Amino acid sequence: MFNFKFFKKSTSTKQKGDKDKEYAFLSAVLSILVGLLVAGLLLFVLELAAAESDFSKPLLGIQKYFTYSFTSSTTFTKIFYNAAPLMLTGLAVGFAFKAGLFNIGATGQYTFGAFFALVAAILWQAPWWAALLLSIVAGAIWGVIPGLFKAFFNINEVITSIMLNWAGLYLANLLFYNLTKMHTVLPNRTDNLTFVNPKAILPDFGLNELFNTSYINIGIIIAIVVAVLIYIVLEKTVFGYEIKACGSNRNASLYAGIKTKATIIYTMLISGGLAGLAGGIVYLAGTVEFTVESNLLAMGFNGIPVALLAYSNPLSIIATSIFIGFLESSGSGLQGLYSYEMTSVILSVIIYFSAFALIVGHFIKKILKRKKDREEALLEDEETIVEQEDEKDIEQTEDEQLNEKGVVK
Amino acid sequence: MDVFSILVSKTIVYAIPLLLGALAGMFSERSGIINIALEGIMVFGSLFAALFLTRGIMDSALAESHPQFVVFLAILVAGLSGGVYSLLLGFAAIKLKANQVISGTALNIFAPAFAILLAYSVISLGVSSIRLPRGIVMNPEVFGLEIAEMPRWLYTMVFSSLYLTTPISILILIISFIALYKTKFGLRLRACGEHPQAADSVGINVTRMRYIGVFISGILAGIGGLAFAMANGSNHEPDVLGYGFLALAVMIFGNWKPFKILFGALFFSLFKTIAVFAATLSFLPSFGLEKVDYLYKTLPYIITLVVLAFTSKKSRAPKAEGIPYDPGQR
Repeated sequence: MFNFKFFKKSTSTKQKGDKDKEYAFLSAVLSILVGLLVAGLLLFVLELAAAESDFSKPLLGIQKYFTYSFTSSTTFTKIFYNAAPLMLTGLAVGFAFKAGLFNIGATGQYTFGAFFALVAAILWQAPWWAALLLSIVAGAIWGVIPGLFKAFFNINEVITSIMLNWAGLYLANLLFYNLTKMHTVLPNRTDNLTFVNPKAILPDFGLNELFNTSYINIGIIIAIVVAVLIYIVLEKTVFGYEIKACGSNRNASLYAGIKTKATIIYTMLISGGLAGLAGGIVYLAGTVEFTVESNLLAMGFNGIPVALLAYSNPLSIIATSIFIGFLESSGSGLQGLYSYEMTSVILSVIIYFSAFALIVGHFIKKILKRKKDREEALLEDEETIVEQEDEKDIEQTEDEQLNEKGVVK
Repeated sequence: MDVFSILVSKTIVYAIPLLLGALAGMFSERSGIINIALEGIMVFGSLFAALFLTRGIMDSALAESHPQFVVFLAILVAGLSGGVYSLLLGFAAIKLKANQVISGTALNIFAPAFAILLAYSVISLGVSSIRLPRGIVMNPEVFGLEIAEMPRWLYTMVFSSLYLTTPISILILIISFIALYKTKFGLRLRACGEHPQAADSVGINVTRMRYIGVFISGILAGIGGLAFAMANGSNHEPDVLGYGFLALAVMIFGNWKPFKILFGALFFSLFKTIAVFAATLSFLPSFGLEKVDYLYKTLPYIITLVVLAFTSKKSRAPKAEGIPYDPGQR
């Protein structure tokens, strides 16, 4: 099925993408800064309008937004509690990005994974690891459908996965109402795992009691392990190479003998499984219950900025998901205008800028290089006037070296 | 008969946002830009039109004497705000050659959050939906007809949820068809979506045409947002429940052609309406399930998928959509 054979990358086949990597970090930081700035500005204006031009209030609010996560052990552990599913949905989106696919359906796969994890936990009294496995399978099934449509009918995966998001949500609701044993206490909320099946709750090794919170579990560790695994698959195996080849040029990789249809299908299968696992981790934490929702769950969509900010690099996704987990932890506990929506504003501005941050990065590079070239040219002119002709040879070699450095940079 | 009248009336009123959204997507994609931000643009248009109607003008004397003229102004506001918002996509996609799907997604995430924050700050904290004024529905009196004179089913079918957006969007549909196929502008726009290099070589300004395409797209999607708010029980919500995306599916279903899009919009709207009324329609089987309306709610999406799969062979997307224009590739 998968060709997980390891291969050694020769140094001569350095990819074009490596050049981008130098600027990826800079552009990510740039996007985040602009995102925070724009959101802060917007908040400032709106809050001023609401608070009748009292300047201290918006400033206090912004300050509160950034310190809130560090006020108690609950809010602090919530950063990582949020980061675990974000990391997995981010990996789901990022993994698909590598194959040139935009898995906007992560939220549907997440919902499906979450629901079936609870089916296993409540109806079948399964232990937590079995429930997690089922969540992966459920997410993978919901994720592979857009892959099949893409491979066989060449329908844009964005459209199909959006359709499946809604279909998945309604289907989960339908199943919820018909599996009456899942909600014996409240009509539209699954029973709390603590009472129904405590062994389905993710283990915390007694740390929750120690730190007086309920948001510590092994979810974050699972997520980090998965991220490393995905990194190894993408960077060190033939299968990963085929995915990336498929992503950069489908026709060329087909010509080179890669089964592009199969690659697309497997990619969406794995991507869906990752999103499903995220759902399992959230709903097996024992802190939330599945409720009947009339709108798509936001978690799947939040994987998109996580992946974009990290340029789909699995290891960078670990960092960006913790950052966005921090933003969410800050946003969720605050009131008034500094609410969850503020986090959405920050995220959207960050995505908007990260969409062309690389290009801006290249643009800045070009300007810097042009400036440098001009300075060099000026220097050269002055020197040639002042200095003797016999020194010109040495100078030229120096210039060549400088130019080489410039090109490399 | 009554049920049938309600079905017809609701199908039409829900088809209008889909039609406008799909036409919006068509104009953008025909110029070569994938506009996945329709959802966000619809929210934006709906938001400003709702604020205009409730905050701006509805208490004035003009609204008393000519309510439909005020609605017309609100449609202009919706279109303009949608158009301006869509320029953000245009700027990123055309000028900066960014990934169009990603920048569109950013606009989609921003709009609902902004709509909520603005409503919090302008109206009051915790209130994110805006109720549109009652007077915006088109009564028979607008046409000089007496309510008492007409049969009830006719009143339900035609007037129970008739808004000014309905006739205007029919007009927009006809104008779109003429503009796209019978004018120089339409030919140029389509050329930019098919082969921008060739278009450029005969002196068409590709950048300008693409900006125009995206701007028209924003205007139509903005009006579509207002139409959705009207269909949605005359209520602006910071969310259009996936209608922007559904409109994209309708556009693909309609093969990027105006009148096929109309057919697609009516088709999907019919299934959506059936799903909404599933609980009250006695002739629909319940299969022995609880809350069977959720099954019917999945139907429009499943049918869309099946139809897309069957029509994919005939489907012909504009060739250059999604690819930033690079004059160097000529």
